[in-house]
Amino acid sequence: MYWTALVLRVIVGAVFAYAGYVKLRQPWALFAMGIDSYHILPYNLVVLTARTLPAAEVAIGIWLLIGVWPRIPATVVSLLLLVFFSAMVHAELAGQKIDCGCFGTGDPISKWTLLRDGALLAASLFVTWQAFRRSPKKS
Amino acid sequence: MKRYAAILTVSLLPCLAAMTQIDKNKAQGNPMAPVKIEVFSDFTCPHCKHFHEEMLPLLMKDYVVPGKVYIIDRAFQLPHEFSREAFAFAIAAARIGKYQPVADALYAKQENWYTNGNIWSVVAGALPSAADQKKVQELSKDPGVLAEIDAESHEGASDGINQTPTLVVTVGGRTYPLPPAPDYRLLKSMIDGLLPK
Repeated sequence: MYWTALVLRVIVGAVFAYAGYVKLRQPWALFAMGIDSYHILPYNLVVLTARTLPAAEVAIGIWLLIGVWPRIPATVVSLLLLVFFSAMVHAELAGQKIDCGCFGTGDPISKWTLLRDGALLAASLFVTWQAFRRSPKKS
Repeated sequence: MKRYAAILTVSLLPCLAAMTQIDKNKAQGNPMAPVKIEVFSDFTCPHCKHFHEEMLPLLMKDYVVPGKVYIIDRAFQLPHEFSREAFAFAIAAARIGKYQPVADALYAKQENWYTNGNIWSVVAGALPSAADQKKVQELSKDPGVLAEIDAESHEGASDGINQTPTLVVTVGGRTYPLPPAPDYRLLKSMIDGLLPK
């Protein structure tokens, strides 16, 4: 169980940091357009999210990778992934043909992206559960 | 020196192959502008009408007229019974340098011909000269015109475009396909960020 949690923590942290890095390499407004295409947030929040989320993803992803006080980054990652996954499911059910925006542009929402993000969410929830179950030292 | 030239030529070949044929009659602005925007659209699409009538004038005023952006219309044929015919007339009009008035008219009266299929009356209304009308009618059946519709639609599909209007921004060799129908404020932020300081 310990090694499973460790491997999943590294995978989730690396994927999260990579997703943020890819977005940071693109113009922020491009990511903002991706968020806006979900039609969930008002303009000001779209801009704020696009400006801050990629850097936050990198920071939290690296924090999770390092494994210091893992309860905090694991919880934050799980909550963010829950929000992303819910938004993607909502868009899919609404028949919106949009990019998921997970790793920049060119990644349209499909059964594959839902499966991928769903698996990532499940892994993150497991890591969070393990982080709270074990003492911080062992996690 | 010749070896370096040969290496340079060989290394540039993929770039040259990736360069698409641009129909200059469907383009507006300075071809040497730092930012190029290709608009993949269809005359039957309501969002394309909105883009053409609401956002394009803003882009023209803010970026195309000042020479900062070169904008090119691209055909992306949707599965609508009158889509191909509308493109055929528009591209035929482009061949005689009358693309913009015909495109304007097709979008302005979209709700009419979209349902009744009377596209020619709209196109003819945008071409005051009888000689131009005759040329456009003839050219609309030209295999080259029809091939242009197919080639551009195929190019869009192979680039992953699956809806309209999709804008593809190119600057400094980097290409950014945008989500369909972006907010103009975000598009403006993006272009401003990409323009040389």
